[in-house]
Amino acid sequence: MHLLPRFDYYEPRDVAEACKLLSQFKASAKVIAGGTDILVNMKKGLIAPEYLVGIGKIPGISEIEPVDGGVSIGSNLIIEKLVEFDLIKKKFAMLSKAASVLGSPLVRNRATIGGNIVNARPAADLPPALIAMGARVKLKSRRQEREISLDRFFKGPGVTVIRPGEVLTQIVIDGPPPFTGGDYIKLMHRRSLEIAIVAVASRITLDGPDGIVTDAKIILSSVAPRAVHAVRAEKALIGEKPTEKLFEHAAKIASNECRPIDDIRGSARYRCDMVEVLAKRTLRGAFVEAREQ
Amino acid sequence: MKRLITLVVNKKACEIAVEPNRTVAQVLREDLGLLGTKIGCGMGDCGACTVLLDGRPVNSCLVLAVQVNGREIETIEGVSNGKDLHPVQKAFVEHGAIQCGFCTPGMVLSAKTLLEKNSSPSEPEIRKALSGNLCRCTGYQKIVEAVRQAAEMMKK
Repeated sequence: MHLLPRFDYYEPRDVAEACKLLSQFKASAKVIAGGTDILVNMKKGLIAPEYLVGIGKIPGISEIEPVDGGVSIGSNLIIEKLVEFDLIKKKFAMLSKAASVLGSPLVRNRATIGGNIVNARPAADLPPALIAMGARVKLKSRRQEREISLDRFFKGPGVTVIRPGEVLTQIVIDGPPPFTGGDYIKLMHRRSLEIAIVAVASRITLDGPDGIVTDAKIILSSVAPRAVHAVRAEKALIGEKPTEKLFEHAAKIASNECRPIDDIRGSARYRCDMVEVLAKRTLRGAFVEAREQ
Repeated sequence: MKRLITLVVNKKACEIAVEPNRTVAQVLREDLGLLGTKIGCGMGDCGACTVLLDGRPVNSCLVLAVQVNGREIETIEGVSNGKDLHPVQKAFVEHGAIQCGFCTPGMVLSAKTLLEKNSSPSEPEIRKALSGNLCRCTGYQKIVEAVRQAAEMMKK
């Protein structure tokens, strides 16, 4: 049986106390929320923090709240609630879809949105959808609070801009503009408990039900150290009339914009080909949703 | 240093002193003698350690005992009323959905949670709800059939 190494456990009552503990213990402490990543890594012996700071009892960081047409999501909210909540299902369907394919039902009942972000795994399920929706994260420390776009949050595998003593408290997503739609597709060998071979999140905004594309986001995941924009493909869409031909053209560009690696889940070549397929399918899905809005 | 935690297990209040590095699965088995909760992979992959935490199925091998202070847990021992089997358990027995039995407690808890939310699940819904619970014996078919029958039994 895999046993956990010894550590000391703290359960702060508010964010300020959590920040105080984290700045006091520095690198010897880790935050634990759902624990579905950190406890596995500790059992494998990959990390052995001296202190765990449990944020489960902090009030105000486990809720979904509508804010000015958008939404503010507490970092300690479990993944399954993103799947269940009507507001997310209706207005941010892409996020709900991404949440529904994360891990297994048992994992989704423990894992949190904040954990899926701060762990910064290159194949994490929520960041591509969140980046496509222009999400921002609130980081609190003892002295200040800052809000940063998720686009600028990830630096590489396991590395983010979070400073020692900072806690991610909220994820903020603005309400989508009219005629905006999105889609997320994760390609995997199995339907559950699986890490993406490739995943793509796309979002487009039209200037009317039959109008041109005014904004486009295509986020590619599992093909780089972090989720990346297919910048040239996004540019190719803007100002154009959305047609099947345009989506095929943009998808082809996207497949040339990624630099994946060969690994156990798939070869680099296969991944590039699948980026093209998934980009096309997510753009189609996004278009259908955008026209309905 | 040990921490004193209070929690409700199968509707009974308990007070236990635990080291922070012990999981709910360990405490249920070793301190409370509830051996129905199995520890398979210990990494959150197999679902043998499934328990209901405030009504939601979770991998108890990936939850620290100190994290469930003040919360409610239901294990396989709390599923039947003490005399009769729960309809899900009955259907598992009748359909031969149990072979070695190691995954059964987790399967039953995940299936029961599904049927309490959705009284007539489709086959894909059943398979999705059980997708965190691995079985190496049955090939899943008999388990899916058992859950279907349990749904019918629970409607009556």
